[in-house]
Amino acid sequence: MSDISHWFEETFKECYCAENNLVDRAKFKELVQLILDDEADEKSRALFEEKIRTCISSNNCFEDEKGMLDTIRAKLADCKSEMPSGLAQSIKNSIGT
Amino acid sequence: MSEESAKKYTKKEQNEVFDGEFMPHVDSMYSFAYRLTFDEDDAKDLVQDTYLKAFRFINSFERGTNAKAWLFRILKNSFINEFRKKSKQPAKFDYNEIESYYNSDDVDSNLTTDLRVETVQHMIGDEISGALNALPVDFRTVIILSDLEGFTYEEMAKILDIPIGTVRSRLHRARNMLKEKLEGYAKEMGYK
Repeated sequence: MSDISHWFEETFKECYCAENNLVDRAKFKELVQLILDDEADEKSRALFEEKIRTCISSNNCFEDEKGMLDTIRAKLADCKSEMPSGLAQSIKNSIGT
Repeated sequence: MSEESAKKYTKKEQNEVFDGEFMPHVDSMYSFAYRLTFDEDDAKDLVQDTYLKAFRFINSFERGTNAKAWLFRILKNSFINEFRKKSKQPAKFDYNEIESYYNSDDVDSNLTTDLRVETVQHMIGDEISGALNALPVDFRTVIILSDLEGFTYEEMAKILDIPIGTVRSRLHRARNMLKEKLEGYAKEMGYK
């Protein structure tokens, strides 16, 4: 098991109380990040998906984080700076390829 | 044998690697350099410098491996080791102090926002970009690498020379800091 997978499993346990209610949203958001970044392994993802199917608080938290990250990524992608014309040629000239 | 002296490629092969594997990333390299330096001329110089180094050390590059990550690592190191010293942009922060603060255990409790997706949807890209640019460079960098360039945690760990766990925690903190900046900006601008 990788360090990240171990961390996911341990953190997941800390997010819920004995009655299986979400009690630590801040920690849960860290797990959501791993899911949204596609860094969680299959076992961690299955555990997570089962929880957001059955727990409305977890589901809401996931949807909020997903919406926020998707929006920020899209808006940042829209304003990438333009590369100056001639830079690529200038690089090629400088090394003589 | 040193990396520099190991002659793995012929001149023709060097040119093929440079043109075929390195040059396709020049656009992303410039974008990264600009977000680090905030200056067009500095960004151009940084990219030129990176490509010159890449060519000089081309024999240490394994053909078919991740050229983009390899180039980003050179660029990041050039920025930290040489460029930041002579940059036109003066340092606004004590980076060590900030890094130490944001790596402390209780930091997340101080970084909670009630920023809503709808609020961010009202903002334009330049406003979000401005908030990103206001983050300390180490935190800005992980967001650029992950959310703009799509690197995995493993690739980021290699580029930044830090453990994967640190990538994970730094990215989480960086995103929280960005949300906090956006929330402050939204309040200032009267966004609901």
